[in-house]
Amino acid sequence: MSLLDPGLDLTLRPMRYPDFYERYRAAIRNTWTVEEVDLGNDLPDLATLSPGERHLVNRLVAFFATGDTIVANNLVLNLYRHINAPEARLYLSRQLFEEAVHVQFYLTLLDTYLPDDAERAKAFDAVENIPSIAAKAQFCFRWIDSVFDLPQLSSLEDRRKFLLNLICFAACIEGLFFYGAFAYVYWLRSRGLLDGLATGTNWVFRDESMHMDFAFAVVDVVRAEEPALFDEDMGKAVTLMLEEAVETELAFAEDLCGAGLPGMTTGDMREYLQYVADQRLARLGLPARYGSRNPFPFMALQDVQELANFFERRVTAYQVAVGGSVSLDEDF
Amino acid sequence: MTSTIEAPTGPDTAPLEAAIAHAARDLPDVDPGALAGGVWPGATEADLRMRAIETAAAMVVEEPSYSRLAARLLSVHIAEEAATQGVVSFADAVRAGHDLGLLADDLAGFVAVNSGALDDLIDPDADGRFEYFGLRTVYDRYLLRHPLTRKVLETPQHFLLRVACGLMGEVGSAGTSGVTLPGSVAGVAELYRVLSRLAYLPSSPTLFNAGARRPQLSSCFLLDSPRDELDSIYERYAQIARLSKYAGGIGVSWSRIRSRGSLIRGTNGLSNGIVPWLRTLDASVAAVNQGGRRKGAACVYLETWHADIDEFLQLRDGTGEESRRTHNLHLANWVPDEFMRRVEADSTWSLFDPKDVPEFVDLWGDAFDSAYRAAESRGLAVKTVNARELYGRMMRTLAQTGNGWMTFKDAANRTSNQTARPENTIHLSNLCTEILEVTSDDETAVCNLGSINLAAHVVDKNVDWTGLRDTVRTAVRVLDRTIDLSYYPTGQAAGANNKWRPIGLGVMGLADVFFALGLDFDSPEALALSTRIAEEIALAAYDTSADLASERSAHPSYADTRTAQGVLHLDHWADAAPTRPDAWAALREKVARTGLRNSLLIAIAPTATIASIAGCAECIEPPVANVFKRETLSGEFLQVNRYLVEELKARGLWSASLRERIVRAEGSIAGIAEIPAELRSRFRTAWELPQRALIDLAAARAPYVDQSQSLNLFMAAPEIGKLSSMYAYAWRKGLKTTYYLRSRPATAIAKTTVAPSLIQLDVENPEICEACQ
Repeated sequence: MSLLDPGLDLTLRPMRYPDFYERYRAAIRNTWTVEEVDLGNDLPDLATLSPGERHLVNRLVAFFATGDTIVANNLVLNLYRHINAPEARLYLSRQLFEEAVHVQFYLTLLDTYLPDDAERAKAFDAVENIPSIAAKAQFCFRWIDSVFDLPQLSSLEDRRKFLLNLICFAACIEGLFFYGAFAYVYWLRSRGLLDGLATGTNWVFRDESMHMDFAFAVVDVVRAEEPALFDEDMGKAVTLMLEEAVETELAFAEDLCGAGLPGMTTGDMREYLQYVADQRLARLGLPARYGSRNPFPFMALQDVQELANFFERRVTAYQVAVGGSVSLDEDF
Repeated sequence: MTSTIEAPTGPDTAPLEAAIAHAARDLPDVDPGALAGGVWPGATEADLRMRAIETAAAMVVEEPSYSRLAARLLSVHIAEEAATQGVVSFADAVRAGHDLGLLADDLAGFVAVNSGALDDLIDPDADGRFEYFGLRTVYDRYLLRHPLTRKVLETPQHFLLRVACGLMGEVGSAGTSGVTLPGSVAGVAELYRVLSRLAYLPSSPTLFNAGARRPQLSSCFLLDSPRDELDSIYERYAQIARLSKYAGGIGVSWSRIRSRGSLIRGTNGLSNGIVPWLRTLDASVAAVNQGGRRKGAACVYLETWHADIDEFLQLRDGTGEESRRTHNLHLANWVPDEFMRRVEADSTWSLFDPKDVPEFVDLWGDAFDSAYRAAESRGLAVKTVNARELYGRMMRTLAQTGNGWMTFKDAANRTSNQTARPENTIHLSNLCTEILEVTSDDETAVCNLGSINLAAHVVDKNVDWTGLRDTVRTAVRVLDRTIDLSYYPTGQAAGANNKWRPIGLGVMGLADVFFALGLDFDSPEALALSTRIAEEIALAAYDTSADLASERSAHPSYADTRTAQGVLHLDHWADAAPTRPDAWAALREKVARTGLRNSLLIAIAPTATIASIAGCAECIEPPVANVFKRETLSGEFLQVNRYLVEELKARGLWSASLRERIVRAEGSIAGIAEIPAELRSRFRTAWELPQRALIDLAAARAPYVDQSQSLNLFMAAPEIGKLSSMYAYAWRKGLKTTYYLRSRPATAIAKTTVAPSLIQLDVENPEICEACQ
């Protein structure tokens, strides 16, 4: 029996994919709540932004307003249905919860940043009315629909379609659209702006990284179980899909950056997106498409151990679950 | 790094390129061309320079000397910014600050009279000693700024000299008491010399406020528990708010307040226990904005026998009922030995309502033990629990929140110089667990802190003992003077500090010393050296305090101290083996003649911010990673262990691929086979070192630390069995206090900039106290 076989596997022991279960447990240990994020310092910052920067922030918030909801929908409509292992579904259930926390975080953010009801409604309408955001949403919907009609993955072709959907959400949506959005947040942060947004985003970023990594682990398993599946055409299709995602995200960047902002231009963003796309291709064992390098020093910073100052920022990395019982002579 | 958008009116980039080339003149390993970046519409020369500085700062992992390059460019940037405000000389800076009402009249007068001599003191090479993060911290947080334009009104050296003048210059009416303190350029020069060499730094409140119109220079305030009545509780809130406003860190006990279910006679109602009061305290602390810089911070102490202990331990949980959570308060356990003994014996533990046993709080040692047992046999306990179960919950709180620090009531009181008389009791430690001073309803303990940078006292792979002693002498004199200079926001604080005159001299950069001398953190040589350092500092500090006592007088409550009875702190430690017994004997004789100016002298604080300024490792800690990132409100900054990079370069091993592997391994080199085993051992991170070694180092230096040490312990994936063994060991070794338990998150951000083939668990996330430096 393999991971994408149709059916409803309920058997946790013996466990076929203990790695998925460990990922589920690790995710539980990283629980955070929206109430822990302090947005108090962001409002005075917002007042100091230039019109161009304020435009960027509004657009960004509008994207965040619906982005995670779309991901959650695909999870329920497609991923949960076809990834047939209870331990994998445990992880997906947990991921669904995390997406809900992200939606709540961005809702709270939006309510805080946009006190005016009409402005808020407009932000949620962005997915229809703002072309650069609508285009991203359309890209997502197309890939949701591509497998929505498949009741089960009975043929090789079905499974290829499913794999493309999975890779699209991991590599293009969580792994590129969101990474693009995170870059704007960290750019603002590098200039000492919108600390609350950055704090929440840190945790969203951590979660999204793990979602993406889980999806790629599923891809690895499927490829190992059915090597014929991921052929040369599949590689080409993935590369094409990423190209389209880069172009779609770039149109968003042009909308956000306009003629350029201090330390953030459309040109920089193109380099960055191409660089990120190459990373996703590498993860899938595919050749680089662009050969670009990361132009944003503040994104390089996201890789490194963090030390925060508790007078300044709430700390969160503490683990939630801890086991064992009292003993006085264990080694430590 | 190309931009497709052409700037319509781009600035001329030639001056910046020239400045970069100049700053890089003697840094062969940096590439000035790498700092060119995108130009955007309306960018000024200063904007582009700042972009170049940030780019250089992000490259420190590739090549550590980019940090110097960034610092030099920032130094130029700051000087130009100050010049736009009309500030070039030191006298200009002080005049500007005084005209705007920021600096004190006394300081302005002293500087005006001595401006020529003071200007001559400025060391033109001193900025060159800063690493980038240190200088950036000074620039972002410490330099005086114009209230409206927010432009700096002083350069980094003006700032250090201003602090020196504020502390050692003449003052007509000092602090709360209004005494006159003579000053001299010579005294200023002596202090500026150690400051500009980054050999000693006072704590942040002193750096922020020295020479200011209202100079609140103290770091820590410790308040006894309010009495068990409404008015006293609200009086405490008010006192805490006033102390917090001026950037002090707060420790407060809550052990006297009745527990849940206790009868309130006045209304015939039942108490809801301590949690609702602490919720109010939480909100109050968060509401006090410290000089516009940040929210206040406080730590609440509770004795382990208090019947609300369970609810107390849950106050910082991320889950559960929000109305019973206090996210702004830190929590500490004030643990009697009797509890630990019962944990060892696996027996029961009784919980009491303080209303039934009001005497417990002021008792320690045998007196507490017998009162506790008597209360048990009289059936006064509200509840009896299994001691190990409660201990396990305390461990769980540490693992889940990092909070619920373990501090030991009996060791703290037994070894204190202040507790010779039974009416003087230590009821708690402070926000960072390094201060132990007596408190009462009308005495709020205060401490002024400063730390010696040990890294600046290493010469030719040896500790410069003479230089170290000189720095200690200067530091003790300055800290003692700070007691008189400081403005105390409450009468309880002013009274207590003038009576006991405690100071807290600490250290930072111990790990730097070990790296420079090639010692493993857990080696016997490191233990001996670390203990010797503590001994030398204590000797010089007591000697200086004795000198001060003979010059002025012993502190007013000297007769109430153990020293007055001939007992030094060292004497409480049976296994202490001083390396300089003759010096101690001479000191004893001298102190018997002169007394001491200060009841307590040594406290090892966490030094988070000032270690950043000095560019050294924090206090007595091993680094948590060889590459790490600091996040502050002004951005994110990369730091790299330069000692490691030097060693790797010397062996021809430093390469892009090795660098990426270290980043990918969260700053650990343990698994990198081509690095020689000797280096992998020496550069183990805090996560990889045996924690027993950290406790042993702390216990060995304890005889020479008359207050306490902010001792963090590290466990990547905490587990109750290991934790309970570790803290029991710390207690058995006689440690008075411990600080955070650091742990790491279970999942982490996928690496964006290193190849994605391998993703490891990321990052713990320590918290840092700025008041305690």
